[in-house]
Amino acid sequence: MSDTIETITGVLSGLLGKYAKPGSTIKASTNLVADLGLESVSILEFVVDVEDHYDLNIDIESLSDVHTVLDMAQVVARLQNR
Amino acid sequence: MELLKKFEAHAATRDALASQGTAPTEITIEKILSPTEAMIDGRHTLLVGTNNYLGLTFDPECIAAGQRALQEEGTGTTGSRMANGTYSDHKMLEQELAEFYGYPYGMVFSTGYAANLGALVALAGPDDAVLLDADAHASLYDGCKMTGAAIYRFKHNDTESLESRLRRLGDHARRTLVVVEGLYSVFGDKAPLAEIARIKDKYGACLFVDEAHSLGVFGDNGRGVVESDGILDQADFVVGTFSKSLGSIGGFCVSRHAELPLFRYASRPYIFTASPCPSVIATTRMALQQIRKRPELRTQLWDNATRLYNGLKEMGYELGPDISPVVAVRFVERAKALGFWQKLLKSGIYTNLMQPPATPDGSSLVRCSITAAHTTEQVERILAAFRGAAG
Repeated sequence: MSDTIETITGVLSGLLGKYAKPGSTIKASTNLVADLGLESVSILEFVVDVEDHYDLNIDIESLSDVHTVLDMAQVVARLQNR
Repeated sequence: MELLKKFEAHAATRDALASQGTAPTEITIEKILSPTEAMIDGRHTLLVGTNNYLGLTFDPECIAAGQRALQEEGTGTTGSRMANGTYSDHKMLEQELAEFYGYPYGMVFSTGYAANLGALVALAGPDDAVLLDADAHASLYDGCKMTGAAIYRFKHNDTESLESRLRRLGDHARRTLVVVEGLYSVFGDKAPLAEIARIKDKYGACLFVDEAHSLGVFGDNGRGVVESDGILDQADFVVGTFSKSLGSIGGFCVSRHAELPLFRYASRPYIFTASPCPSVIATTRMALQQIRKRPELRTQLWDNATRLYNGLKEMGYELGPDISPVVAVRFVERAKALGFWQKLLKSGIYTNLMQPPATPDGSSLVRCSITAAHTTEQVERILAAFRGAAG
């Protein structure tokens, strides 16, 4: 069964905690680079964490339009529904 | 012009580097003196960042072979391998490389970069998947992108991360290419190829190994990590470059699969480029002979690598996990790494400075590559320079 976007967003926010700058507020509209200061290495590690949490593979092409937590949640939702 | 505005960011990067003194991207070798020495900034400098692992660039037999070819076959082929650019020597080198690995098939490309692009593009397509190590070289990443296949990255050298992704692919795992390197060039760490090969066999995937930095360095016969890890009969495609231990320029792919020769019809980076010039092929063939007949070069290389690694470790530097001819010293702060690299250069030691985003984990590195041609005295000079730069 697939999760709602809200549920996924909550999970992603939790997974992002270890990569974000201390004191960051993470919500659906949070931009991974501009707001959280994630560098490409951290983004890659975050993606791997998301893949392992949801037991799915996210191809690099799907990530080209991912800027915010919501964008990533939509990718996860789409792959869950595939 | 609007189109050219994108270069402003690059100009800013260049200017920022220049404002801090000698920039690592602006080094000019004014005169090359030997495999280990050159004149840089008017200063006699010890080269510790050339990837010239066996020191064969000045080998007299290689030079003589190149001179003969230049004299007898001219300066260049002026053509693609698919047109007028295949000489007997290109075919001989392909055969010799295949024999060296104990495989039936070999193919030569014009650069190592082209070998990765050319082999990957031929192998995978839009209906396939690629599993790529997160720290893989840019040429592998670029080649994978060109295939149009779905690309998934797994954690660097993490076989559990690889296996979980293969498992998730289900039946599609049988149409998946696993792409790894034998020795990773940034930290000098070796891939766990035996375990990777076991996993890819379990799921029926295909294994592609880039031995750019391990050819001539690992294995009893210098065939690389595929040999030292005992997976020559499991690796599907092995690629490598001539521009490191073989001391020239070019690249190759060898395989046990009869489809390799068909890459010639499916690989645009192979078809649409001029073939390597005869002198390059001649020096490469001779260098390959040197690898085969002079195992003492590897012994000397590993002695030097061990001495350098242990010496730097004793000084308290943070290094990569494995002793190898690539010894990378890690710095947290970019500015500190740059300053350290410049100090080394001023003391007559050339190393490679690597900074984000070119480094896999966001740290900055002063990277050394040691060679068989370095003398014990030269290795001690490198260690002394690191001691001095820290003070």
